[in-house]
Amino acid sequence: MKDKIAQFIIEHLANETLATIDGNEDLLGNGIIDSLGMMQLINYIENEAGIQIPPQDMVLENFMTIENMMAYITSSKEHKTRPQ
Amino acid sequence: MNHLPDNLHPLTQSQLTLWAGQQMHPKAPLHNVVYTFDIQGSIDETIFKKAFAQLIDQTEVFRTYFTESRSSPLQGIKSTMAPNLQVIDFTQSTKDEVDQWVKKHTLSPIDLSQRVFESALLKLKGERYIWFLKLHHLVTDAVTYSILFNRMADLYGRMRNGQGTTLPTSASFASYAALEQEEGNNPKNQASLAYWKKKVDDQENLEKLYGEANDPYTTKARRIEVSLGPKRSEQLKQLAKDPRVRSWTEDSSLFTIFASLYFIFLYRVSGQRKLTIGAPAHNRGNRRFQQTPGLFIEVLPLSIEIGENDTFYSVLQRVRAETHVFLRHIGPGRLASVKEKNSTALLNYIHVDFSDFDGLPTSVNWVHNGHIDSSHSLRLHVYDFTKGGGFQLAFDIKNSLLDEDRASRIPEHFLSLFDAFLAHIELPIGKPKLMGNDRKQETTGTQKTNGYPGVPVLRQFEQWVDKKPHTIALQSKDQILTYHLLNKRANQLAHLLRTKDIGKGSRVALYMHRSPEYVISVLALMKIGAVFVPIASDQPSERLAYIVGNSRCCLVLTDCNLRKKGIIGLENSLNLKHIAPELESQRSDNPQNPIKPESICYILYTSGSTGKPKGVKITNQGLANYLDWAKATYATDKNTIFALFTSIGFDLTVTSVFLPLISGGQLVVYKEDPRGADTSIFRVMDDNLANTIKLTPSHLALLRKRDLASSVLHTLIVGGEDLKVSLAQEISRSFSKEIKIFNEYGPTEATIGCVATRYDPARHKGASVPIGHPIDHMQAFVFDEYENQVPQGVPGELYIGGIGLATGYVGPADMTTAKFIDHPLAEHTKLYRSGDLVRTNKEGELEYLGRKDDQVKLRGHRIELSEIEARLVEHEGIADCAVLLIETEAAEPEEETINCSRCGLPSNYPGTDFDGQGVCHLCRAFDSYKEKVDGHFRNDGQLVALLTSKRGQNPDYDCISLLSGGKDSTYVLARLINMGLKVLAFTLDNGYISPQAKANIDRIVTRLNVDHMYGKTPHMNEIFVDSLQRHKNVCNGCFKTIYTLSTKIALEKQIPFIVTGLSRGQLFETRLTEELFWDDNLDSAKIDDTLLEARKLYHQESDAVKKLLDTSIFDDDQTFEKVQFVDFYRFSNVSLSEMLLYLKEKVGWERPTDTGRSTNCLINQVGIHVHKKEMGYSNYSFPYSWDVRLGHKTRNESLEEINELIDEIEVNRIIKEIGYIEPPDSTMDARRLVAYYTGDPNLSVNEIQLSMAKKLPAYMIPARFKHLTEIPLTKNGKMDKSALKGLTSVQLEMSTPYEAPGNEIEELLEGIWKEVLQLKKIGIHDDFIALGGHSLAAIRVTARINEEIEMNFPLNKVFEYPTIASYANFIEKTLTTLLEN
Repeated sequence: MKDKIAQFIIEHLANETLATIDGNEDLLGNGIIDSLGMMQLINYIENEAGIQIPPQDMVLENFMTIENMMAYITSSKEHKTRPQ
Repeated sequence: MNHLPDNLHPLTQSQLTLWAGQQMHPKAPLHNVVYTFDIQGSIDETIFKKAFAQLIDQTEVFRTYFTESRSSPLQGIKSTMAPNLQVIDFTQSTKDEVDQWVKKHTLSPIDLSQRVFESALLKLKGERYIWFLKLHHLVTDAVTYSILFNRMADLYGRMRNGQGTTLPTSASFASYAALEQEEGNNPKNQASLAYWKKKVDDQENLEKLYGEANDPYTTKARRIEVSLGPKRSEQLKQLAKDPRVRSWTEDSSLFTIFASLYFIFLYRVSGQRKLTIGAPAHNRGNRRFQQTPGLFIEVLPLSIEIGENDTFYSVLQRVRAETHVFLRHIGPGRLASVKEKNSTALLNYIHVDFSDFDGLPTSVNWVHNGHIDSSHSLRLHVYDFTKGGGFQLAFDIKNSLLDEDRASRIPEHFLSLFDAFLAHIELPIGKPKLMGNDRKQETTGTQKTNGYPGVPVLRQFEQWVDKKPHTIALQSKDQILTYHLLNKRANQLAHLLRTKDIGKGSRVALYMHRSPEYVISVLALMKIGAVFVPIASDQPSERLAYIVGNSRCCLVLTDCNLRKKGIIGLENSLNLKHIAPELESQRSDNPQNPIKPESICYILYTSGSTGKPKGVKITNQGLANYLDWAKATYATDKNTIFALFTSIGFDLTVTSVFLPLISGGQLVVYKEDPRGADTSIFRVMDDNLANTIKLTPSHLALLRKRDLASSVLHTLIVGGEDLKVSLAQEISRSFSKEIKIFNEYGPTEATIGCVATRYDPARHKGASVPIGHPIDHMQAFVFDEYENQVPQGVPGELYIGGIGLATGYVGPADMTTAKFIDHPLAEHTKLYRSGDLVRTNKEGELEYLGRKDDQVKLRGHRIELSEIEARLVEHEGIADCAVLLIETEAAEPEEETINCSRCGLPSNYPGTDFDGQGVCHLCRAFDSYKEKVDGHFRNDGQLVALLTSKRGQNPDYDCISLLSGGKDSTYVLARLINMGLKVLAFTLDNGYISPQAKANIDRIVTRLNVDHMYGKTPHMNEIFVDSLQRHKNVCNGCFKTIYTLSTKIALEKQIPFIVTGLSRGQLFETRLTEELFWDDNLDSAKIDDTLLEARKLYHQESDAVKKLLDTSIFDDDQTFEKVQFVDFYRFSNVSLSEMLLYLKEKVGWERPTDTGRSTNCLINQVGIHVHKKEMGYSNYSFPYSWDVRLGHKTRNESLEEINELIDEIEVNRIIKEIGYIEPPDSTMDARRLVAYYTGDPNLSVNEIQLSMAKKLPAYMIPARFKHLTEIPLTKNGKMDKSALKGLTSVQLEMSTPYEAPGNEIEELLEGIWKEVLQLKKIGIHDDFIALGGHSLAAIRVTARINEEIEMNFPLNKVFEYPTIASYANFIEKTLTTLLEN
């Protein structure tokens, strides 16, 4: 998943040509992607991870780095499988 | 020139939108985009020119041109293009001259087929240049300018340093256009396309900004720029970092803040809660195009709904979420789904910045072209071209919307919100003031008080007494008083009252008729400084008692017989009739009494929201101020003759009492008629004495259609209610001379009139005449809910201040302090909160918009009822109207109903009653007369005998058989043939017979070898709509059409019988009522006679069929002898299963599968859908219950058919196709808007609705339209809205006001009607047919009446005397005659 996200960013979203992206790289802060790119990335993550990201979860803390995203995806999946 | 025809490619969606806009305004430079780059330093002009030539060679957009092929625009790229860069020397010129040049070249048109750009280098004084670059918007956006600037700077620098001049290449715009096409068709984008489509469908455009609507035909606009400055910009950036506020990036955080502010701003200056703005997406998400010049932006909508409970922060959270979704769905090719609808407001957040020009400091200026897209009223551009220098806000405002003065205040309003937001993000959005208190230009009214108070009212009268003692002051039917006599009588009364300890400050109720004595009493009380409390003679005793007690009156002066009125126990009352001799002996000189301006002159009671009237205390100076102003404005003088004909308890009437008497004129008094409605207005007109009258618009409306050509009236003062322009216009025109109509506004609390204008046909063209400007020494303020002044044009509540304000209400102070508030802008003064919504129009006149209480919220929309009223009266058939929000009893939800355990009748069928076993009342009752019913039925042999009884007449046919193609009618036809009868089959082609059913029909008639005809009418859709409105189904309309058309054929072809295929259940639905079987012994012949009578009446009922088809054959009674209707199933007893078997084996009938139901008709389900929606149950529930009761169907078969699913999509399509407008879904909210109107009684509801649909959003279109012969009026002559609210939903459908039964017979009839018609309340003037009574109900009603009073009235009496009142009268007369004989 982590690699897929990195690959998607490199291929489609990054403002500059990159070979790799570090999992702790601040994607927005370092200008690798902009807000439009972030929303495209969220679309991508939703499709790939099979989750729905509600508006209140669309905050920097969850999506600043690829590592943040992975943590969010994991917790989101746990939450989903937890019995109601 | 080297054209490359192969290279032509179509325009992108954004380009097409701009192209279309430019085509509509071919001369306007609305898409000229001009940037000027102000470069500080020395430039090598030769190199600059060369660099620019290179730029053009290496940049396609400069070489782009546009052409049209078969009216589609195309774009191509020329291989070369001359740069035409001028270097112009402005070193000797002033700044103005430079600006002039820039302006001229900004506005000069661009020839898109030749050259899309213009550029020049302006050399200014000192070391300074301006690079002017103009491009057509079709090839550029803000990012493009930054790309071009950088490329130019790069080229210039390289050339200056002798480096290579080849720039890096980027993807072509043509490839972007191709990508857009591709993406638009890409299945993975379907969700986004659907998102935008829905967004646009749900979009609510800004209706009005500052109270003004966008004029879509103009484009001229002004730009007003304001700089946020470094401090505010810095604060803003800090806020953007706040964890509560921030979004993904600084730019997206800033966008969210600006969008939130923009929404809040629009809400504050429009009052609209559902808002949509357009916002350009930069759309260069694909890295390939980041350096490609061209038009990439796409404008897409952002919508939110906000309300008074919102805070900045709560709005921001929603805007942020909305922005995320916005970003999620943008991308090339998305615009295709949204281009039809434009937002009227645009927010353009530009995140583009420019660096220096080859090391030379450069400032960038975006030059406005003086225009705006025709669909936009307002745009806000936000940019910081310098990156860090501070934000620039540019507002583009359409000139036709706001003039320069009003437009120039927009930044202040926006920035007020901006600063409040920065200071406190949790602030309610309504709270911040939009403008400072010093903005006095927003205030209307005069503050001048010099020389005031003037001469007291009483003294002015007494001066005329001295000046013209023998001039007539007052006359009534039986007396004439000169000024001298009037004064003498007033003095005598005053002196008498003094002997009874009435004096300064004493409160005296005047419970009187309009009469000379009333005027005398008023003057007498003023003369001794007592306070008069007028109470009209028609007020009920409880109200009198309340007022006397509440105001602590020490005396009731009256000319009424109190005992006769049932008024006893008043401690102190004096009947003027009884003291005449006493009065004669009194002194007649003026009593000595100084008049204090601020003391109370009179107390007037107005209806209070609590249900108890409120006494308003009016001062001498308030009255004098109003009258002095009125005297000057209405130009009253000794020639003025005023009529006194309105209620004395209404403050409007005070004008009529005093104005002639302080002007040396004359007052003509019209006493009210003690019985019934006050029709004095007609006596005033008939007498034709008065030349000046004051009245309400509702009263004025009574003068419509009257011949006023010879009237001496020249001045009409109208007050008390909203005055419609249409009424003022119509009345003015009905005079043969020019008359003056004044519109006067004023709550009692501000003394009679405080805002006024003269109706001017040339200026006043809206729906209502404005209320105008405050009168002398009065002020008006328009405030929002936080008592902030609203900007000009914006609706708000009217607050009134000035010398005319009442001192308050009688009684506890809390009521007074709630309505008379401390002036928020001036100390030690009060303002009265009127509860009226107003706005200041373009000319500075106040416009009345309705009562604040009339503002309703329905299904999330805030609705101004008066706005709907204004649109309605624009309809030429509507004279006057009121729109109210009415509660309706919601239909019992379908899922909660139970079905009769025997027949399946649902429990929500009106009047149903179930017993302990779950058996309905109909089944129970049927048990008792089942045998008689059986006796009424016949057999096959009898049918053949009947149908062949007239064989001699027509050798070709015995009968017509009505064939719908369904199972019942097909069975009839087959059986008739089988019986050896000669049959002509007739089918109505209603346009919705399913193809399979049609095939069935054609196959059957061929197979049975029977003659067959189709009947048709072009009016079918209107008949369907009428049937849906009247009966909530389509079948009734269809049936009647069939009967009408087939009877005509039978007459023409001399066929004596028409055989129907109504099932036995339908026979009970449409013909056989329980009452027919009430007689102890069954008399079938009598039943047949009754049914024939009913049939005759049925064809006289006025509906679409009667209106649209030729039904004259039914006017002749002989028609009913020549052509008889025979119900086949009266003679044939067959169960459903037997029938189906027969049809299958003998006829080859197949159940159609293309109607979605067991019907042959596609429109049938529309009827079921509407019936279910409006009544809560299927229209088949009742007839099917009879089929079950009679053993033709099982309960399960019936319920199965009733519960068949309905194809909603198909239903909606057909509803649209036939032009039916569905009332809003009442299950969501049981309230609905009801319009009551007077005017043309023949207007069709559909027609009104359709015309409203063009002017108002769907949620504002009333669900019901009720025609009234006249609008009910209160005692004061105002529209009586509470009386309208009291009408039941059924009465809403009728055109008569409600009146309860007044005697025993009327009560008896009401009881019967209520039972039969299943209504809760029936007025005695309500029309039987309008109540839903039809021939069947007539049978039931007549049977019941005959039973109750043991008479034998024929059926048609119900139609001859169609109201309870008239039928009761008929019964009474009949009985009297009987008794006398």
